[in-house]
Amino acid sequence: MKSALALLKKDFSSEIRTRYAINSLGMFIVVTVSVILFSIGNEKINEYLTGGLFWVVVFFTSMSGLSRAFVSEEERGTALTLQLLAKPESIYSGKFLFNVALVFSMNLIIAVLFSLLFEMFLFKNLLLFVFAFIVGNVGVAASSTIIAAIIAKAGSKGTLYPVLAFPILLPLILTLIELTKQAMDGNTVSDSSVELAVLFCYDVIMISAAYLLFDFIWKD
Amino acid sequence: MEQFFADNAIYIVLVIVLIVWAGIYGYLYTLDKRLKSIETETKGVKK
Amino acid sequence: MAWKIFLFVLMTLVCIAGITFPIVEEPSKWYHFPLIPGLEENAKIIFFHVPTSWITVIAFLMSTLYSVRYLRKKDLDDDSKAYTAAQLGMIFCILATVTGAVWAKFAWGSFWSWDPRQTSIFALLLIYGALFALRSAVDGEEKRATLSSVYSIIAFVTVPFFIFIMPRIMKGLHPGSADDTNAGPIVDFKMNSNMQVVFYLSLIAFTILYYWMWNVGYRSHIVKEKLQKQIS
Repeated sequence: MKSALALLKKDFSSEIRTRYAINSLGMFIVVTVSVILFSIGNEKINEYLTGGLFWVVVFFTSMSGLSRAFVSEEERGTALTLQLLAKPESIYSGKFLFNVALVFSMNLIIAVLFSLLFEMFLFKNLLLFVFAFIVGNVGVAASSTIIAAIIAKAGSKGTLYPVLAFPILLPLILTLIELTKQAMDGNTVSDSSVELAVLFCYDVIMISAAYLLFDFIWKD
Repeated sequence: MEQFFADNAIYIVLVIVLIVWAGIYGYLYTLDKRLKSIETETKGVKK
Repeated sequence: MAWKIFLFVLMTLVCIAGITFPIVEEPSKWYHFPLIPGLEENAKIIFFHVPTSWITVIAFLMSTLYSVRYLRKKDLDDDSKAYTAAQLGMIFCILATVTGAVWAKFAWGSFWSWDPRQTSIFALLLIYGALFALRSAVDGEEKRATLSSVYSIIAFVTVPFFIFIMPRIMKGLHPGSADDTNAGPIVDFKMNSNMQVVFYLSLIAFTILYYWMWNVGYRSHIVKEKLQKQIS
């Protein structure tokens, strides 16, 4: 755990030095949202569509940003050093925590942008959306971290990442879109307990599977 | 005969399906046999 | 040897029974199938479509099991077995998708309507596709085997969401989904006993056929790898 926190700190300081996420991911979000705005023009779109678009933007931003966790280590050639210094579990935990932080800050920006730019992006039950948002973000971070670890070891890193991550993230995203709809309709938390339970199970399964399997990817 | 098949088109479907199935089966069967001979051959090479 | 002849006879019988046995409103003879409201003649697809999707899941399960075995024992033969199972799973997945879509055209009015079942089989197709994309992107046998094993295990832990949870909690048109009123869980009570017999025989026949194809596939794979090692 201690080494996981140390790794997290190291990633944060390297992030502050290069400002990769702030510069390119922030710009990526702005670009994607403005493409959506241009394509909508003056049309009135209904609220469910904004909910769907929100998760589309989240998906593509994660796909462009989260693979860096392991790819950057391979590119800089620091993967071997890391392998010597820390246990695989703590490496996964460190990277996972960093990705959770990244996903949360990214998605907060996207959510703020959406609520500023789209009048229809309104929730009758904000609490349900916040729940879905938190649990969903953890799920996105968990599965994209382990896929990033696979990608870092494979060739053709850029294109393969969304291809591999999409089927894994699909149950998560479908449930999240459903939940967003329900939050817009004003369902109470107990009304949508089934979907929330599905999300929660997904998180638990994904994190435990990733912990068990990370060893095998990291070793060679 | 012809009248019978004209009335019951489903039997034509049946005949076609059975022919296709026989073809697939025969193909798999010969493939299996050929593979077996190759397997014994490669074992001989190794020794 | 005997099981191959058994397979031939069984599959022939299933084809004959599944295609020609008539569907009548009041089943009285042993070869009559009951009329299921909402499905009518279309119900016959159950003998061919359901086994293909069953095989898709079985193949995926086998691929995962052999992946787990590969990760534990590091035997490349297990990787060949997992890979062949995934290949066959892909083929049967496409078959299930296409037969389902053709059936849907006549039962629901359109080839594709994003019913939860269709979504789930589409996701399975995507998983298989991603698995092959991953395999082609990695050089080095052992690395490829390890990475694809890990990926297929991760994919397998999410698949239950698609096949077992999603179609049942979401509303859909497919027989067996949550708000299904017209063509309920067919397997449970709408089929009469002889329809069930033919259905289970068909499942058995398809499973044996799959096993045979898988057997031939992985053996050829192993022979190929052996020969490559001898040449190099």
